[in-house]
Amino acid sequence: MKKTIFLILCYCSILIAQSVDQQNEVNLFSPPNIKKFADYLFCSHDYLRAALEYQRYLSTNHNDTVSYKTAIAYSKIGNYSKAAKLFASIDHQSHLFPDAQLEYYKALFQDEDYFGLRNDFINVDLSNQFVLSPRDKKLFYFSYLFTNDKLPSENKFLSHFEGTDFQRVKDFYSWKEAPPYKSSLVAGILSAIIPGLGKFYVNEYSDGVFAFLAAAALGYLSYTDFKAEHNFRGWVFGGLAAGFYAGNIYGSIAAAQIYNVKIQFDFVNSLKVFLNAKNYFIPEINFCR
Amino acid sequence: MKWCVIFFILVIIFSASNMFAQDALKKQFAFAKNLYASENYYDAITELKRLLFFDTYSQYTFEIYELMGKSYKMGGKFSDAILTFTDAELNAKTIQQIYQAKIEIIRANILRRTTDRALQLLDELANDKKFTSKANEINYWRGWALMFADKWDEAAKSFAKIDSCKQLQNLAEKVHKDKYSEVFSNLISHFIPGAGQIYTGNYFSGFLSLGWNVLWGYVTINSFAANRIFDGLVELNLLWLRFYNGNIQNAQNFAKEKNLIITNKALNYLQFDFYGQKP
Amino acid sequence: MKLFLCIFIFSSTIIFAQTDWQKWGKANYSYAVKDNFHKRDLSFDAKNPARFVLKSLLDSYWFFISDVDGDNCAFSPTCSNFFLQSVSKTNLVQGTLMFFDRFTRDMDFIAKFDFYPRVPDGHFYDPISLYTLNKNEIKYIPPSVIVNNE
Repeated sequence: MKKTIFLILCYCSILIAQSVDQQNEVNLFSPPNIKKFADYLFCSHDYLRAALEYQRYLSTNHNDTVSYKTAIAYSKIGNYSKAAKLFASIDHQSHLFPDAQLEYYKALFQDEDYFGLRNDFINVDLSNQFVLSPRDKKLFYFSYLFTNDKLPSENKFLSHFEGTDFQRVKDFYSWKEAPPYKSSLVAGILSAIIPGLGKFYVNEYSDGVFAFLAAAALGYLSYTDFKAEHNFRGWVFGGLAAGFYAGNIYGSIAAAQIYNVKIQFDFVNSLKVFLNAKNYFIPEINFCR
Repeated sequence: MKWCVIFFILVIIFSASNMFAQDALKKQFAFAKNLYASENYYDAITELKRLLFFDTYSQYTFEIYELMGKSYKMGGKFSDAILTFTDAELNAKTIQQIYQAKIEIIRANILRRTTDRALQLLDELANDKKFTSKANEINYWRGWALMFADKWDEAAKSFAKIDSCKQLQNLAEKVHKDKYSEVFSNLISHFIPGAGQIYTGNYFSGFLSLGWNVLWGYVTINSFAANRIFDGLVELNLLWLRFYNGNIQNAQNFAKEKNLIITNKALNYLQFDFYGQKP
Repeated sequence: MKLFLCIFIFSSTIIFAQTDWQKWGKANYSYAVKDNFHKRDLSFDAKNPARFVLKSLLDSYWFFISDVDGDNCAFSPTCSNFFLQSVSKTNLVQGTLMFFDRFTRDMDFIAKFDFYPRVPDGHFYDPISLYTLNKNEIKYIPPSVIVNNE
């Protein structure tokens, strides 16, 4: 009999425990449930909602992994300044600190705060808070390719890159050191010599042809009109020819400027594509396995 | 007796814990509905997603997706709305729910102006024997899809199949009647420059066009007549044909512009002054 | 079939999760269709005498000629608008040079597709900011882009 009562009591305690647990489970806004829900949102790529839920969780709990994931979520949705702040807040003692530090630099990089990034790197290096590995320094050197600051020496720059990256980065470095810009002055002078030639110089061939045809045809009409003593028409066509001639010189100068902005744009784009493919030299942690 | 009491207590404990869970989900759904009612659609979706995550027995799945879809629709995110309504359809438990989800998909397609898709789905519904009793409603939404597809005459025919839809039928018929024919406007401008503009009520532009065409036509013909072939070719290409083609282009554009004013007036009426069901 | 539909919906859910990467509220959408018809600004302008004369001449050109001779300019802003804007932004001489260059580029019917982005009504986007010779004002937009801020 005693044995039976004991068994019943055990069963009852299990049920009561289960019931208490279930009441916890049904509180949709208990911290563990908020975290569970946030994890689900994070893995469904619903990053803003995930970040807001994580922050709700962090208002009552401290958890470095959750802070890290919040920062990742903000970084994914393009709120880099907020991400950088959160990555910087990760505790130095945390096992995630080295990754958070790299992600912090990546967020600064994506926020295009290259000077902030470099200052921070230099301060960390000087303060000896922790040792920066060659891998960590890649972003530091890469940031020079995005600004107009004096580049570090080629050897020093390239010593941080190896394998297949080396040649690509070397090409980027060479481009940055001597960008293949076109000179506005040369474009203008060429168009002054032969209308349209300046446009050829900046690779706008058909524009060059039409500029030549317009100036030449109107010039010829003016010449024939003057020859036939149709002076009024001669002046009209001559004026137009002069307008097209001078306009083309002006246009060639402007086209050289646009060309330079375009190749700079393409260069920065290819840098970004390369960095994205390399995930900014940072190993990505998969939280959704 | 003693055993019965113990058993009774156990049952109460067990069902109470389940009731707590039920109650929490119910409250959460009411909370989400409140957010939706107060036009806080983003947060409504967050709370619906929370409910979906914790609703392990899928009791609310259809309702969740349906309300989520409606929230996206109110936010103007029609593609997301359509995807979510499709989720609702996949989780529907009754024929009525399937129909409800399909109609919501059709309405979102109308608003997204993918009216071909809306009409295709309406055809599928009309051909499905399960929904024969819904013929009136199907015709009603077909009418709306056709109005958004700028096929007002067909819309009027669709509304005519429903007894209580005279207002929309009249509106669609009137719009169809009031609209200018782009083909006719274009065609008469080929024969008499400016006629298309005059047909669409743009008298000044029409007569100006006619004047330019007469002037450059006269100058061109004169040059050819005086054997000044080069001058004639230049005047024909750079002046006469320029204004002749411009007149045709204008005639068609004016008709399009006028038609857009007419249809937009009708669509604005439907959006702001019509009190029946809208997409 | 159902499995395929489920996979499709799952993958689309991930793609469309991006919709919610920014908070949004009630949309103010309209049943009416937005028109892309070209509206002229025929108002007179008396900021300075040169601009007043130029604007009056252009208004007359638009009213009596441009509006009835069809859509002949492939660019946005149109050549005459480009002229007006460039004179307003710079001066009469530089503005005229910019206009002659633009007119030459307008005649070139070959290379437009490779160089210019488009505006929604299909015209090539070619703002004056690219040609004032102020490098800081040049914002390069690739030709694959549709520009909405016109």
